[in-house]
Amino acid sequence: MSAHMNRPEIGRYQIRLHGQLDESWSDWFEGFTLTNESDGTTTLTGPITDQAALHGLLRRVGDLGVTLISVNVLPSTNPHPKEH
Amino acid sequence: MAMAVLATKLFIPTPRSQAVARPRLVEQLHEGLRAGRKLTLVSAPAGFGKTSLLSEWIADAQRRYPHVRVAWLSLEDGDNDPARFLAYLVAALHQADPDIGSEEPNVQSPVEAALTMLINDVAHGSHEIILVLDDFQLIEEVSIRDALVFLLDHLPSRLHLVIASRSDPLLPVARLRAGGELTELRAADLRFTSDEAAAFLNQAMQLGLSLEDVDALESRTEGWIAGLQLAALSMRERPDVSGFIKSFTGSHRFVIDYLAEEVLQRQPDNVRDFLFQTAILDRLSGPLCDAVTGRQGSSQMLESLERDNLFVIPLDENRQWYRYHHLFADVLRARLLSDDPGRIAGLHSLASEWYEHNDLPEEAVRHALAARDFERAARVIEAAIPGVRKSRQDGSVLRWLSLLPNETIRRRPVLSVFFGWSLLVSGDVDAVEGWLGHTEQLLSAKRDDGTSAHDSADGEELRTLPVTIALYRAAVAQARGDLDGIKEHARRALQLTSPDDHLGRGAAAGMLGLAAWASGDLEAGVLAFGQSSGSLRLAGNLTDALSTTMVVADMLIPLGRLRETHDSYDEALRQAMELGNGGQPTSDLHAASSEVFRERNQLVEAAEHLAASEALGESAFSHEHRYRWFVGMARVREAEGQLDTALDLLTEAEQLYRRGFFPEVRPIGGMKARVRIVQGRLQDALAWVTDQGLSTKDELNYLREFGHITLARLMIAQSVTDPTAGSMQEAIGLLARLLVAAEAGKRTGSVNEILVLQALALEAQGQLPLALEPLERALDQAEPEGYVRLFLDEGAPMLRLLRAAAGAGIRPDYVRRLSQALRATEGTGPTRQPIAEALSERELQVVRLLATQMTGPEIARELYVSLNTMRTHTKHIFLKLEVTSRPAAVRRAEALGLI
Repeated sequence: MSAHMNRPEIGRYQIRLHGQLDESWSDWFEGFTLTNESDGTTTLTGPITDQAALHGLLRRVGDLGVTLISVNVLPSTNPHPKEH
Repeated sequence: MAMAVLATKLFIPTPRSQAVARPRLVEQLHEGLRAGRKLTLVSAPAGFGKTSLLSEWIADAQRRYPHVRVAWLSLEDGDNDPARFLAYLVAALHQADPDIGSEEPNVQSPVEAALTMLINDVAHGSHEIILVLDDFQLIEEVSIRDALVFLLDHLPSRLHLVIASRSDPLLPVARLRAGGELTELRAADLRFTSDEAAAFLNQAMQLGLSLEDVDALESRTEGWIAGLQLAALSMRERPDVSGFIKSFTGSHRFVIDYLAEEVLQRQPDNVRDFLFQTAILDRLSGPLCDAVTGRQGSSQMLESLERDNLFVIPLDENRQWYRYHHLFADVLRARLLSDDPGRIAGLHSLASEWYEHNDLPEEAVRHALAARDFERAARVIEAAIPGVRKSRQDGSVLRWLSLLPNETIRRRPVLSVFFGWSLLVSGDVDAVEGWLGHTEQLLSAKRDDGTSAHDSADGEELRTLPVTIALYRAAVAQARGDLDGIKEHARRALQLTSPDDHLGRGAAAGMLGLAAWASGDLEAGVLAFGQSSGSLRLAGNLTDALSTTMVVADMLIPLGRLRETHDSYDEALRQAMELGNGGQPTSDLHAASSEVFRERNQLVEAAEHLAASEALGESAFSHEHRYRWFVGMARVREAEGQLDTALDLLTEAEQLYRRGFFPEVRPIGGMKARVRIVQGRLQDALAWVTDQGLSTKDELNYLREFGHITLARLMIAQSVTDPTAGSMQEAIGLLARLLVAAEAGKRTGSVNEILVLQALALEAQGQLPLALEPLERALDQAEPEGYVRLFLDEGAPMLRLLRAAAGAGIRPDYVRRLSQALRATEGTGPTRQPIAEALSERELQVVRLLATQMTGPEIARELYVSLNTMRTHTKHIFLKLEVTSRPAAVRRAEALGLI
């Protein structure tokens, strides 16, 4: 088993989407925080329990027809990054 | 649940009246059809008009090509159950062409077998068929994906597969693309062009927009059809259209978010409320929506939503069922979740209640679970179990049970027993009894007021639960090899059944039969299975009743009742063919009956039965009997002298053999060991015997009889090869004990084989007169039953024995027939072929001496050569004869007429 596989899967993720989504979508996206960025994108930030949950979330993004720009793991040293 | 096929899932959507015609895309789809490409893939996110385009194309194709039939299947989450997926696939194709899937599919057969049946039906049908699988992104189940890969690999040219999906399916798309077998339409193709956008906004929706406004909308939505549709809805009857377009195009908000808000705000309160309340539903009908909203007039509401183009899509021609456009439903559900989350569970409960009253258990359970109303879910699941038992589609129930809290299951005896059974099936044998014992306590416990202490509803399932528990206990005992346990629980089950519970009685008698069989009391086993078969007939289950023929035959053969076996197969086959049940159990019976013909040396007839079985197709076999075909074929090949082929077939049989159904009294590994003994590969045969832990000192029981007889055969062969090994005496001792045991069990078939081996052992020791005693007994018992291969399979030594028997005047006619057959056999097979290099004169001398009982050193002395020289000769002989052992060399030389 590789070191990668041993890494605990729980972590915070940041997902960037094209277009601005209202904060009211938060519950739909499993309680992720929605932040509208000045460049017309939206970032979803929140905890992911495992890979299956991440894929489920991405499927919801896809189902809505929103354009996905990036998916990032947030460094675990800073579990509550400041949103700008 | 008894899988009611929902017609709405098979409904071919009709093109919308206000849709924009898309001839360029329709033409591309036609081109794919004309070119006979295997797959058409329409892959794009929601809202790109995939379904609309396909329905437009289908309507056009049906106009242009009247002979083309269309099968449409709208998929949903629950279709990730292979059995269910397949049932719908068959139903969709059957609706397109009633000749397809007209035979009841065998619920037990693997997916591939059922697909093969479908493929054959399509290939032999008279119609070209377009099969559309819509919303394929919902399918994640690997076995379904594999099934589709199989379908694509074996796709008849008459069948055109069309898949619409929001994400690329996990199929070999790249391979198909590279091979020119794929027609592909993607988001970039599906986007509205400026012209299409203009046609939609100004012609279909009659908005009368300027070219600039159309362009602005087209660019803001990037041609996304759902976005343009919502925009059009927002602009309808709006005084300031330009103002709307300005603020929409100036906004960064996500298209759907912005527009849905606009559209919803413009709806009257009652409509908006209706939309939110019904958003939790996958399908909408007037009565269902009435139940969920608590209002009247939902049918009219749905009609007006459709008229207003509010993303409501009809699912049938009568406008009884609708659904929301997926995208719109997502928006509504997200809003509901954000604005009024406390309301959701209540809505699901109302939906569940409606579905329950309308006998749609599957939906009722789904909504009950969504409402976290476990009591309701449990009640509905319990009510669905008898149907599940009949259709053997228990995958859904097991999934549901896994979603219920343990406590809920434990309060319901019916669910507890079902859960215990599911553990048995999954192989967790030790965990079963906990649930069965718990259920018994639950059944006998009373509350203070004297009422029962459990939650299960009264009914047939609950009333017969004690029988079910006893049967499952017998099954647990069987899984553990506990024969007394099987008998005890099966007897108890039999006591508990009412006289008219034929199914229960049939199962219990079958269990008793299995126990008798495994303990070697074959006569009792035959009787018990006779009763079981009778009960199954009374229960109306002729297929299972006829299937017991094979089990009974497995016991009749060691009992030496070959004639009876033949007749019972004959009769069962006649009845099975009349039954015409998709080849079941005809195919199994054909395959199994080949062994009777083989034993009588009617190899052509045996092969004919095997061919007849094969001709019925893979799907006609039942999976617990599938291995029989390979064993039957192996035995025929073995009789023909094609030993390596026989071994390959036995290896395949081994892989197909399912443990746990029946006692393994004739292990396939043992059959392979016997072939290896004939081949002279004694080390390989020894490996099996050692692996099984077989020895001459073992206590004998019927379950190991085949193994012990194999051991005796091996020891005789070893001793013939190397008399100094001194194992012959031990073999003879073992055979004597085996004979006593077989006689005590009245197993005349086994007795005959043991007698033959005794004769061979004595012959090998040069005690021919003594050898004739067991041989005569075997001949006496075998002649009336028509045995032939019993003797033929033993080859040259048997020929010597038969000659001696003929000399002694034993059974002269029978012995003459056997000798003739044996001489003919010895001259057949691959050994007939001449060898590449002839043996030298010296080598011929050696080979003739090898055929005697002389040891290697004795032969060397006889020929006045050193042991080393003698070994060199032997090595050359083995090379030239292409053998690896002394007995094989002798057999080969005999066959070649060299000795």
